[in-house]
Amino acid sequence: MSNLVSIEGLTVTFTGRGKPVRAVDHVSLEVEKGSVLVLLGESGSGKSVTLRSLLRLHPEKTSKVSGRIIVDGHDIMALSKTGIGDVRGRTVSMIFQEPMLALDPVYTLGQQITETILRHENVTPEQAHARALELFEKVQIPSPERRLNAYPHEMSGGMRQRAMIALALACRPKVLLADEPTTALDATVQIQILLLLRALQRELGLSIVFVTHDIGVAVEIADKIAVMYAGRIVESGSVADILHTPRHPYTQGLLASRVERAKKGDRLKTIPGSPPDLTALPPGCAFAPRCDKTTAACREQVPSLVTGAYDHAVACIHA
Amino acid sequence: MSILQVSTSPVLTPIARSPGYWSGVVRRVSRDPVAMTALFVIVALILMAVFASSIAPADPFKSAMLRRLKPIGTPGFPLGADELGRDMLSRLIYGARLSLLMGLTPVPIAFIIGSALGITAGYVGGLTNTLIMRTIDVFYAFPSVLLAVALSGALGAGLTNALVSITLVFIPPIARVAESVTTQVRSLDYIDAARASGAGAFTIIRVHVLGNVLGPIFVYATGLVSVSMILASGLSFLGLGVRPPEPEWGLMLNTLRTAIYNQPLVAALPGAMIFITSIAFNVLADGLRTAMDVKS
Amino acid sequence: MSTAPDTLATDPRDRGGPAQSLLSINGLVKHFPVKGSGFFGRGGVVRAVDGVSFDIRKGETLGVVGESGCGKSTTARLLMHLIKPDHGEIIFDGEKVGIDLPLSEYRRQVQMVFQDSYASLNPRLTIEDSITFGPRIHGMAETAARAKAHDLLARVGLDPSRFAGRYPHELSGGQRQRVNIARALALDPRLLILDEAVSALDKSVEAQVLNLLQDLKADFGLTYMFISHDLNVVRFMVDRVMVMYLGTVAELGEGEAVFASPSHPYTAALLASMPKMDPSERTIEAPLTGDPPNPINPPSGCRFHPRCKLAEPVCATIQPSLTASAPGTSQAACLALVPQSGHTLAARLSLPVPDIESMLMPEASA
Repeated sequence: MSNLVSIEGLTVTFTGRGKPVRAVDHVSLEVEKGSVLVLLGESGSGKSVTLRSLLRLHPEKTSKVSGRIIVDGHDIMALSKTGIGDVRGRTVSMIFQEPMLALDPVYTLGQQITETILRHENVTPEQAHARALELFEKVQIPSPERRLNAYPHEMSGGMRQRAMIALALACRPKVLLADEPTTALDATVQIQILLLLRALQRELGLSIVFVTHDIGVAVEIADKIAVMYAGRIVESGSVADILHTPRHPYTQGLLASRVERAKKGDRLKTIPGSPPDLTALPPGCAFAPRCDKTTAACREQVPSLVTGAYDHAVACIHA
Repeated sequence: MSILQVSTSPVLTPIARSPGYWSGVVRRVSRDPVAMTALFVIVALILMAVFASSIAPADPFKSAMLRRLKPIGTPGFPLGADELGRDMLSRLIYGARLSLLMGLTPVPIAFIIGSALGITAGYVGGLTNTLIMRTIDVFYAFPSVLLAVALSGALGAGLTNALVSITLVFIPPIARVAESVTTQVRSLDYIDAARASGAGAFTIIRVHVLGNVLGPIFVYATGLVSVSMILASGLSFLGLGVRPPEPEWGLMLNTLRTAIYNQPLVAALPGAMIFITSIAFNVLADGLRTAMDVKS
Repeated sequence: MSTAPDTLATDPRDRGGPAQSLLSINGLVKHFPVKGSGFFGRGGVVRAVDGVSFDIRKGETLGVVGESGCGKSTTARLLMHLIKPDHGEIIFDGEKVGIDLPLSEYRRQVQMVFQDSYASLNPRLTIEDSITFGPRIHGMAETAARAKAHDLLARVGLDPSRFAGRYPHELSGGQRQRVNIARALALDPRLLILDEAVSALDKSVEAQVLNLLQDLKADFGLTYMFISHDLNVVRFMVDRVMVMYLGTVAELGEGEAVFASPSHPYTAALLASMPKMDPSERTIEAPLTGDPPNPINPPSGCRFHPRCKLAEPVCATIQPSLTASAPGTSQAACLALVPQSGHTLAARLSLPVPDIESMLMPEASA
């Protein structure tokens, strides 16, 4: 089997204050070795929650997770605390939107990377330092030797993002999880980071699961795209299929409303309404209240994801 | 809480009004059993102080050398008697009057003055901020107990002077909290939007700043009530506050300290009252903070 | 209903007629002092806006683009008089602001919508109270202000009977931004500054708000200054576009001309950095390397020269000013476009301007 990541029936319910919120609802997906899967969705679509489940990052007290997650042969849900600790960083690691929150402000970047390597692997400090330097070169940080001695706040946004990628790659993971890593960056820097991730993915044979709300970014980096809405995958397929022949009304609406495709001054075609309230989802298809194809059947049962030709799957009874 | 009074006009569409922020806070606090217990204790203490003359079983000033230092449970003296043979229960009940007065008076006064200074410093910023805050930092340099004792000593012993010195001690910390909260609110876009609509500083502070900063400052000030009681007790203990034979918990603790080996339980009673009261105020402040923290 | 005019000609506040710019900015400068870091650190100066001049014509949408730190938000705040400029003048419809036109009168006519829809609404006020605040400040009677607020809520697509009494946290991001737009319109402004007003919204909601902005512009006869980092949205929305780099204007011209054939190498790079929306034509090489530089110590000469692929020694010495290389093209501040500037490309340039984008990145078009 070439699937490095396989998720089956993942359901995540948050039970903190107030009503329980089902953030992810029976999500199943697979990521092949050395490929990039983009989870595309708006706020509240469950894309980040799905991603975090892969590292079991949800607080155990206030969340209920069910389903099966297998990453490189590890059954994530069944692992012990030490077991999941071994997987984190070594098999799967993660980069975030805001590197300042992921990096420790009181240590230099070099210290953080060497420390991570020393904790996970049986190497000498010199070897770890050499590896840190090599990583900084790999993520194309100019004058890497000097930057290893810098503190996170001394670097610009793009450089910090590169440093975080270096830290994430410190223990040669097989899967990299990326949670909107370019959203806070300028377009000129965003494209640099996307190109870097693509180069690293090719060079190291990484699998990447990349979460974004921006179709443009998805098209630049993805092999496959899974579109999420209200905690469910509504459509998945290759980039070209999603982009050129979208089958779910939500994907179609999303693409139709893009300003890139409109002439100046035109009225944009829009999806009416706002993203759904996860505490009060309608029965049946969650998109039905905003959809122009809705029939009575849509409101009765949640449509299942049906796979068609070329692995292009869609969850809509009208598609 | 807004200048924009709600008046129902027949021309307008009737609107569904959401419950306000404060009613939400009250609802959440009322669901917090710990905070409600604390509130119950505080209310009970206040009622005890108000109705002391009808509750107290005996005259708190009537002494008798023969009944000195009776233990707890002595018939006629349910909580024993003090070093002059006065009824402890009655003295503790009457003591609530002065002790609560000393604990509660300085805080609201310091709250008003400190908030005014802090909000001005935070909203105006620049040189005004530097002037106000650096002056306050000078007071901040001294430990609060030392400062209270020094001020009280300088002003002379007596109840009023003790209250004034405690109030002065509380102004700097309240002003600091007010300044930091206001600076934070000041940087938010809705303040800029209000400035852009041409509103003056006074109106903006009244409509947009006060409602958003008074809550956190209030919570902080509630926590100071316990400190105030302890400071007041301390001043009385040192002879700078209430004078004998007035019943006041701090002073009682002072005069009973010689009895600590003979009747340790009786000697500890005034301390227990101070402890209970300050804990109740602290717990209530915590409950309020939690209730106000909730975003939605 | 609102008293907003349908056409500019009927606006009684109009002074100089349609040919006069609504807003003229001349030599705007704003420097912020920075505290030195560390014990002996020397304090520098952030040259946030460093000599910016432009006009906003009546009824147009002027787009402003650039990377973070280019000064676009500072410019907006200067225009709103939320911060005071160090130098420069702001002329509104022929009247100098602060001299001929009192600030309070100016503020009624220029309003702003901010990026963060939550931070720009007072969490303790109901939607209705937030909208009526401005009109009440300017002396409108309460009943009239409330009627106006309800009317505006309906105009931005929110049912007043459902939303007027609510608090900001009870609304979604898109709904809150509609409220912010209604609030900005409550003073009947002629110019609306939209500072990244749709950037934080979900894409499906962004499209709705863009449509709304276009409708409101037509209905109320508004002029927009549209600030955004998203060039695709800017291309869709604007008539003219101003490209800013490190506190200066790099290029200024008709939107279609700038997007089709950018004159400044920076504009070209900015355009080439946008995602391509076509998996078969993915970007192969980043048009610009490194992060936008810090405006504390901007480079000498042309501020873009350290990142520019056309840079020559002369670029580090002379600061170019905005020039149109040919009639009908946009104005750009680039020495390569100025004849006899000393730049080798300038000498060879013959009109019309060749496609700089392809000269910039011959490899990228593979």
